[in-house]
Amino acid sequence: MTAMPRAAGAVRRPIWTRWGLHAVLLLIMAIWLIPTLALLVNSFRPSAEVSSSGWWTAIVPPWDFTLANYEHVLARQGLGQAFINSLFITIPATVISVMVAAIAAYAFAWMDFPFRNVLFVIVVGLLVVPLQSTLIPVLRLLASTGIAGTYMAVWLAHTGYGLPFAVYLLRNYMGGLPKEVFESAAIDGANPMVAFFRLALPMSVPVLASLAIFQFLFIWNDLLVSLIYIGATNSEYLPLTVVVANLVNSLGGETHYLTAAAFITMALPLIVFLALQRYFVRGITGGAVKG
Amino acid sequence: MGQRNRGLRALLALGGAAVLVAAACGTGTPSGGTKVTVIGTWGGAEQEAFLAMVKPWEDKTGNTVAYTGTRDINAVLTTGVASGILPDLAGLPGPGQMVEWGKSGALKPLDSVLDIETYKSETSPAFVDLGTVDGKIVGVFIKSALKGLIWYNPNDYTAGAPATWDDVMSTSTGSAESLWCVGLESGAASGWPGTDWIEDFVLRQSGPEVYDAWVAGTHPWASPEIKAAFEGFGEVLDASYGGADTVVSTNFGDGGNPLFTDPPGCVFHHQASFITSFFKDQGGAADGDFDFFPMPDINPEYAGAFTGAGDLFGMFNDKPAARDLLKYLVTAEAQQIWVSIGGALSGNTKVTDYPDDVSKRSAEILGSAKIFRFDGGDLMPTALQSAFFGAMVEFAQDQSKLDEILAGLDEASTAARGG
Repeated sequence: MTAMPRAAGAVRRPIWTRWGLHAVLLLIMAIWLIPTLALLVNSFRPSAEVSSSGWWTAIVPPWDFTLANYEHVLARQGLGQAFINSLFITIPATVISVMVAAIAAYAFAWMDFPFRNVLFVIVVGLLVVPLQSTLIPVLRLLASTGIAGTYMAVWLAHTGYGLPFAVYLLRNYMGGLPKEVFESAAIDGANPMVAFFRLALPMSVPVLASLAIFQFLFIWNDLLVSLIYIGATNSEYLPLTVVVANLVNSLGGETHYLTAAAFITMALPLIVFLALQRYFVRGITGGAVKG
Repeated sequence: MGQRNRGLRALLALGGAAVLVAAACGTGTPSGGTKVTVIGTWGGAEQEAFLAMVKPWEDKTGNTVAYTGTRDINAVLTTGVASGILPDLAGLPGPGQMVEWGKSGALKPLDSVLDIETYKSETSPAFVDLGTVDGKIVGVFIKSALKGLIWYNPNDYTAGAPATWDDVMSTSTGSAESLWCVGLESGAASGWPGTDWIEDFVLRQSGPEVYDAWVAGTHPWASPEIKAAFEGFGEVLDASYGGADTVVSTNFGDGGNPLFTDPPGCVFHHQASFITSFFKDQGGAADGDFDFFPMPDINPEYAGAFTGAGDLFGMFNDKPAARDLLKYLVTAEAQQIWVSIGGALSGNTKVTDYPDDVSKRSAEILGSAKIFRFDGGDLMPTALQSAFFGAMVEFAQDQSKLDEILAGLDEASTAARGG
């Protein structure tokens, strides 16, 4: 991959322009990182100090750091189980929604059927429906099918909530794939199934990966959907977000544990993001400019 | 391409495997006994205390308690009532919601569940009344809190409990910067500590009848009695640490922290019995650095009047194990466990063994109060309660707008009660 002709885009700029660009980028990165840094610093500070002085006072001597917050959070009963629950919820829900969206996007992009555009507009239009307004009807539906309170309920719910955006993103990317490829495949006798699995899917890997990152992060960080569809009946299936939020007591005390818990929660998404990041930028811009 | 796809394929395979494993596990239930699902707002140390409280019951019966703690309990129960997917037992967001669900039949009557005679003899009448809808008990109290306590630092203030409210207000600030510390910030519920102040003033100045009528919406906000309560709080605000900006921007949990600085920022802080954990966690105070006296009587006619609050608990699914658990939770034996861990007063008057002096004295006051009223804001319709919270912030910022604020609350009251 490194052998890709990167030089093609690299018109030599004067050295000071590049340095200036890098300086600006570094500055913006630093500003972006400050809240996370504050969180990290505070997660190692005793609670009395967190509430009495700013995090920046802690980075100069005398240092007063502690691991107590992490110890408390990690020793908390059910945190490990909640981490696994989060994986059980997130991974299947991500896979299902990406698969369904890919198939739908292919159909919208390359298959001819009546009302194709109208249906596409309706699907994308669902983006504006606020998730909260669907809670009661969806929960009723889940109750009537008997799957309320199970993982299946949350997978289906997340798939549904994710599909409008997923279909929109994939449809635009797949629509930008070269027409000639599908035409020649059709001439060679490939049916739509073959064209989808052998052509469209492999060519869409970058956008599939970036969609997977989006979905993964969205579902991993979700609290409300899991809480509503699982919480009332099966507390042992609840994900990390619910357990972490409940480190705080009903009066809003004990917030100092949240900083440590936040870092534990962030660990996996960070790994996923770093592992898939090379797809990320290409996937986002992939469908934007053709040619 | 092929090289690169391997990672992605592995990820997809992993996902597929997880689907299968999770589907296989998804139908499993904990072995042995019945699972009783409970949902409440308790988190952190409270959650641990509750689980410790139900542990003996689990050991005895072999049943398990599956507890979900969330402060979004309103969302869970509202969607639950609408769809029928409900926990067996639940902490209730407030008395208003309880009445609604009690009338609709979502909450099951507890008269046949509890031993009514024992329950009534062990519970303060105010709490029994609060849990009663249409003559049937639907809500019980697991724990309670006493409001209207005035906290001070015994290292700085040594004069003991003042006899009258005027004595409190004319206390010399000594080395402290101001007389009072007030913190009203609390996210979306900002202003609620101010509502406690108003309730304490209304009850002590104008008595329980005005208080009840005011809470029920039959006594107007723009009346001399309620106005006097706001003015009483206004005097406190005038003598508060840091002025209006500090008051509205300081979190209620940090509100009392200036008691423990050197030199102290203030002499007194008004808050309910739960605040001690904040003093210790966030104010850097140790045991012995704080003490309290109850807010003194204002009108001698209504001596010994107190406000308080409690956590209501109700039953949504009538099944034997849930009945058994609820029966256990109201006993002194069960409530003693939470009380011993700390941070709570019992709802059961038979519980007397308190772990520290502060909670012991709070419990005694709660038990011996001549006039006891539940937190008024919690009894009002939710929309009016929110308006009440907001009004306190507005009032703290600009007291000259009092008439306008009270008129606005009267409108909010009419609107919230469907008038």
